[in-house]
Amino acid sequence: MSKRILVIEDQEDNRRIVRDLLASAGYEMIEAATGEEGVAQAEATTPDLILMDIDLPGMNGYEATRRVKSNPALRRIPIIAVTSYALSGDDAKAYEAGCDAYVTKPFSPRALLAKIREYLKD
Amino acid sequence: MREWLPRLVARVPAPVHAKLLVAFLAIVLLLVAVGAAGLQVLSGVNRRAEELGQLQRKIAAYRQLQHDTTAQLYSVASALLVPDERTLEGTLRQLNQFGYDLDRLQFVAKDEVELLVRVRKDYERFIRVVGQVVELIRGGRGAEGRELQLRETGPLADRLERLTNQLVNKAEADMVASIEAGHQAYVTSRWVVIGFAVGSIALALALGYAISWSLVGPVQQMEARLQQITAGDFSQRVDVPNRDELGTLAVNLNHMSEELGRLYRQLEAASKHKSQFLANMSHELRTPLNAILGYTELILDGIYGEPPEKIREVLKRLEMSGRHLLSLINAVLDLSKIEAGQLTLSLTAYSMKDVVQTVLAGVESLAAEKQLALKTSLPPDLPPGKGDERQITQVLLNLVGNAIKFTETGEVRVDVASGDGAFTVSVADTGPGIAPADQERIFQEFQQADGPGARKKGGTGLGLAIAKRIIEMHGGRIWLESKPGEGSTFRFTLPVRVERQVEAT
Repeated sequence: MSKRILVIEDQEDNRRIVRDLLASAGYEMIEAATGEEGVAQAEATTPDLILMDIDLPGMNGYEATRRVKSNPALRRIPIIAVTSYALSGDDAKAYEAGCDAYVTKPFSPRALLAKIREYLKD
Repeated sequence: MREWLPRLVARVPAPVHAKLLVAFLAIVLLLVAVGAAGLQVLSGVNRRAEELGQLQRKIAAYRQLQHDTTAQLYSVASALLVPDERTLEGTLRQLNQFGYDLDRLQFVAKDEVELLVRVRKDYERFIRVVGQVVELIRGGRGAEGRELQLRETGPLADRLERLTNQLVNKAEADMVASIEAGHQAYVTSRWVVIGFAVGSIALALALGYAISWSLVGPVQQMEARLQQITAGDFSQRVDVPNRDELGTLAVNLNHMSEELGRLYRQLEAASKHKSQFLANMSHELRTPLNAILGYTELILDGIYGEPPEKIREVLKRLEMSGRHLLSLINAVLDLSKIEAGQLTLSLTAYSMKDVVQTVLAGVESLAAEKQLALKTSLPPDLPPGKGDERQITQVLLNLVGNAIKFTETGEVRVDVASGDGAFTVSVADTGPGIAPADQERIFQEFQQADGPGARKKGGTGLGLAIAKRIIEMHGGRIWLESKPGEGSTFRFTLPVRVERQVEAT
């Protein structure tokens, strides 16, 4: 059974790139365009990994991460944050919110896939 | 006195020169007053001396009168005893002298006039009687003359003596009173002169003090205020009580300060807006760029089927250009974040040795590609540092990356030393070197050294500007030592333990 990855991302192009990338690697992908929708999808589908954009309209990625991690049933799901490029601080905030790893935007699909594989090894 | 008098003078709504003029005039008037008081005293003393002289002459005249009366009596008595013509002549001569003495008493005071009138009356009678006595003696009627002498002349002489005694006593009493009054007047005028002199000195000092401090005080206040303005503090106001030119100056100074403060705030806001705009814009630019780079990589990785070699080549160039554009946008974002004060250093413990090794590992392949030797010397006893490890790594990476980029043959050396609580890190290359004119400029935004090959190397021209800001935020300093043709050495110092971020200016 293929692993399911929830991608929470408001940009259609970014979703499409990740979708094409994950499809080629044989992963199943669930999509959400807002933080609220993402949290609902996580609760409904219990994915194996969450790719969380931080810069989201409405509820941002930090808050969505906190919601997911505060749910005992979902706490074990690894969350990879996709942070905007910044000098510093975003990574620390991502870890603080409960993210397991982060990649900075614009990300290389190749590097992203490597990061995902690292967390879905078993 | 210290406070209110200068304030009082300051509040007088008159120009400074008018105040000074009034003060000088006041002092001059006081001097004139002191002089006038002195003259007054002198003339009083003189008047009293004259009065005393007059009294003395008067007393002398009265005494002379008494003496004359007595002499007259003796003279008549002698004539009665020795009735020869010579004696009689002497007696008549003395009578004339007597009249002369009386005429000298012209200066008598008003209250003495009555006495003197009586003296004159008695005197005239005395002269007449003496004249009759002399006539009787001449006529050989000595017995009748003696009888008249005894009956009339004697009592008249007694009365005259009494009257003149009264005059003398009165004059003497006047003299004593005059001396006493003179002494009193001296005491009074002494105090008046001393009072005027002390008052003048006190007033001159007070006026000098008040006027000079009403001028110096506000000048000092404004001087201090100007220093605050120079230091960039526009919030204070200078408050002087003056209603003269200095008051106007203070009002203008406050106005200028407010205006400067307003402009400064506007400028600051404009600069913040600019930085914010750049930050927003670069963020917006990266979203489509993300898609371009992402799709390009997916195509190159064969996700959509293996692309033909020709397309792959073009895609690689597309990807390179995209990454360059990305680095430009990132650098603009970095700088605008620093300028907007949005960059906060995260100060943690780090190892300078690890930083250098991370950087060297990152550029190893680049140096190897150009066959450049990458050398380093790390003292074994480097102290543990505190600072923003990521930023310090970025700075060093930028310096070493530049050194490799601009050096064609030879080596790139990274040396670290520590001492006096600071690390000194130097990155030396054997590249073309940088002309002195460019050495300051390359730390400014969008500046690269001119000269052959410089533009070809690409890069944003922001790396060194960012590095400089980051080093300065750590409280360090970065500079360059270079001669054209002899390579360049970039050096920066960094406090070993940075406890607080230095605000970017």
